[in-house]
Amino acid sequence: MEEYHPGDEVAFNPDEASNSVKECIEGIIGGVDYSQNKVNQWTATIVEHSLTQLVKQGKPFKYIVNCAVMQKSGAGLHTASSCYWDTTTDGSCTVRWENRTMYCVVSVFAVAVAL
Amino acid sequence: MEIVYVYTKKRSEFGRQCNFSDRPAELHVDILPDPSLAANFVERDPCDVPTQCTQEMSEHEVNTERFEHETRGINHAEGGWPKDVNPQEMEQTIRFRKKVEKDENYINTIMHLGSLMEHCIKQNNAIDIYEEYFDGEEVVEEAEEQPSAKTINVFRDPNPVKRTATSLSWHPDRNRKLAVAYSSLEFQRTTQDMNYDSYIWDIENPNKPEMTLKPVSPLVCLEYNPKDSHILIGGSYNGQLAYWDTRKGSQPVEMSTMEHSHRDPVYKVIWLQSKTGTDAFSASTDGQVLWWDIRKFSEPTERLVLDPSKKGNLENALGAISLEFETTMPTKFMVGTEQGLVVSCNRKAKTPAEKIVCTYSGHHGPIYALQRNPFFPKNFLTVADWTARIWSEDIKESSIMWTKYHSANLLDGCWSPMRPSVFFTIKMDGTLDVWDFLFKQNDPTLTLKVCDEALYSMQVQDNGRFIACGSQLGTATLLEISSGLCTLQRNEKALATAMFERETKREKILEARHREMRLKDRSRSEQSKEDDGNMDGEESAEEMLARSEKEFFEMVGAEQKKKEKEEEEQLDKEEEEDYFE
Repeated sequence: MEEYHPGDEVAFNPDEASNSVKECIEGIIGGVDYSQNKVNQWTATIVEHSLTQLVKQGKPFKYIVNCAVMQKSGAGLHTASSCYWDTTTDGSCTVRWENRTMYCVVSVFAVAVAL
Repeated sequence: MEIVYVYTKKRSEFGRQCNFSDRPAELHVDILPDPSLAANFVERDPCDVPTQCTQEMSEHEVNTERFEHETRGINHAEGGWPKDVNPQEMEQTIRFRKKVEKDENYINTIMHLGSLMEHCIKQNNAIDIYEEYFDGEEVVEEAEEQPSAKTINVFRDPNPVKRTATSLSWHPDRNRKLAVAYSSLEFQRTTQDMNYDSYIWDIENPNKPEMTLKPVSPLVCLEYNPKDSHILIGGSYNGQLAYWDTRKGSQPVEMSTMEHSHRDPVYKVIWLQSKTGTDAFSASTDGQVLWWDIRKFSEPTERLVLDPSKKGNLENALGAISLEFETTMPTKFMVGTEQGLVVSCNRKAKTPAEKIVCTYSGHHGPIYALQRNPFFPKNFLTVADWTARIWSEDIKESSIMWTKYHSANLLDGCWSPMRPSVFFTIKMDGTLDVWDFLFKQNDPTLTLKVCDEALYSMQVQDNGRFIACGSQLGTATLLEISSGLCTLQRNEKALATAMFERETKREKILEARHREMRLKDRSRSEQSKEDDGNMDGEESAEEMLARSEKEFFEMVGAEQKKKEKEEEEQLDKEEEEDYFE
């Protein structure tokens, strides 16, 4: 387990998180087209890698990572979320990524482990 | 031991305060539909997806290299002559021969070839390669195997109220079917809802009987007609007899009239050997043995009252429980009675008094089974009380061979049709014993616990291999015994003959000796009567009874004490062993 620094009362940094998630997505589905056989594998890998990266930051947060991959076939997709938490310490961020054949949307929610 | 102090504090009283507030809804993704993209896709409708649910197998072919072969033969009639010599012409051949013989090499080559040929001929004659080995040898006999028996099938009474299977009869051809008679022999135990039916079972199907026979009163005994396998005769609990034809259905074709039937349950009915194949006779505990012709069931053709005093008096009559009839001796038959006597009778006698020839006594209870040995008709087996006894016809005072007294009553028995020295008995504790008196005389060769309740009847098949036993709860069990017990061994007949003769002789000698002693006693007591004129020592009947009762209880008590002592010794031994361990 990564070291946890007690006494660190840091709020969630959405930019840092979104950067690391974007890198993950690029690495996994960077140059490929939508393939029905592989899409399950992709979503699982994206979620796992993103989570690993976030945890590596060593911050005292509980993370929830959600990933959706949609084929570009002319349909529309809309999602929203609402939260009830401590707005000073907790936060979320959403990363949207697309290529010619598909969209990928990853949401990260981080809830502080309060002490 | 650690001293621990536990103090509790609510989580809300320490740590960071939870200041929750609502973060309003945030739209994460808003991708608007774009129909132009849909143009890139073609709807596939219908969508056929073939699947195959089979084992995946691969096919391989292998072909070895072709080997060309041709069949050729040589027919050497005459040849070897050089081209210019015509073998038909004698002159030419003679001339050629003369020329060759003058050749130097000729003799050497001939010698060489000659010796080669001689070697081959000798080889040919030395071994006959077409010889038949093991031609005249007999089949080697199998090694002695342990006698064993195993249960093949169990046929249960399908009714909820179980009745005893009192009699079994095998189908005369091919033994594929078994007829079982069900009734309740306990006095006044028949309940209202007890079913009266008896069943014919196909031995391959133990789930459902093949045919039902519906009598008016439960059947105590049932027999297939050995001449016509569709006809069965049954004796019922109320004393009537009925016969069935399996082609005609479950109801009896005809029943004997009430007035002329027996007055007690008919315990045994046997078919007789006759030209028409329609004669049978029946026995019952009311003391009568009746002969019937099934074509005319209104009246018995003949009647015999088992009165030992030969007066035909029904009050004195002995109740008959079993019958014996051997087709090789059609004029004689035997009856086993409730009182423990076996009565031997002659069918051809003119007067009823002459019908009863002699009686054999020796049993203490009703004789449940009576059968002549199929190989030695002069000897017969009786099964009664706690023993089974073998008798010789000539000796009337006692049996020639008998088993020890068992702890449970023996209820039925029969000889094996294949081996003269093997017989079977069944007991009240549900065990089947196979006895082979050429092998072991004190104990049965094989004891088999067939079921927990008492076994009431048994019947062995004609091939001696299968035995069916019926129990108190109506379960008929089919057992197969090992081949050693149903194949005739070498010398078995001779050994059995020798054994029977020896035992008969022994009994004869004993009988003669007893008679001598009795005569001597009588003459001695007559003499002393003249001297004393007073008979003291003659106890009255009551005193004798009291004395014998006392003796009996003393013996039983002594046996019990012996058993207890044995058990104690056993426990002591076990304790000692535990102690030393």
